[in-house]
Amino acid sequence: MKYLLLLTNDADEIASWEHLTPEEARRADEESEPVWNAAIARMSERGRLLGGLELAPPSAAKTVRGRGGELLVTDGPYAETREQLGGYFLVECESLDDAIAMAELVPVARTGAVEIRPLVTEEERP
Amino acid sequence: MQYLLLIYGSEERWEALTPEEERAVYARYGELERELAARGGLTGGAELRPAATATTVRVRDGETLVTDGPFAETREQLGGFFQVECESLEEALEIARRIPAAEDGAVEVRPQHVRAAP
Repeated sequence: MKYLLLLTNDADEIASWEHLTPEEARRADEESEPVWNAAIARMSERGRLLGGLELAPPSAAKTVRGRGGELLVTDGPYAETREQLGGYFLVECESLDDAIAMAELVPVARTGAVEIRPLVTEEERP
Repeated sequence: MQYLLLIYGSEERWEALTPEEERAVYARYGELERELAARGGLTGGAELRPAATATTVRVRDGETLVTDGPFAETREQLGGFFQVECESLEEALEIARRIPAAEDGAVEVRPQHVRAAP
């Protein structure tokens, strides 16, 4: 079974990044890299990692919406929520329990949340 | 640069579609997918089961909290995504405009995180 793990960060944490100098941002990236690599190695014991992406902060988002037959582009994410999407992993594992075990290893599970969504399979499409 | 195009739509509206209407929407997505594949740079994508099948995991003070449902209740629900390699944000927005859900839902365009140069 394939699952999408949606990695979300807490709004306060995201706001704190906005004040980082380029040097501080570089150091934060450097410090987080081994933590993430270790998490990914442990996750791989419970399933296969098929893909993923780390996103720029929600302030870099644009949203396209239809209004009265026209498409409008607005700044910012689709929804202003307490937790905001920061990236994803696409995984393949045996069961939802394995997906939960993988999700709890993701570093942002400790400060934000990881939402697990099962994928629609080819056979389920009309 | 990689861009994530997050597709939001009303599940209620989706479930109200007749089988023909549903096939017509799938056909539009299929056409867009083939076009993006032919263009090159379609690097990922998925169609999600309804938000009611979501499980959200949080770890606090070493305890794992598992709840049913998505991390946030929104008017429209995340139903899928495309990941595409684009030259510019404008190019990503052009593709986003062509996603059927943009017309009656919304498509959020998010660039990838770029690490600061050492």
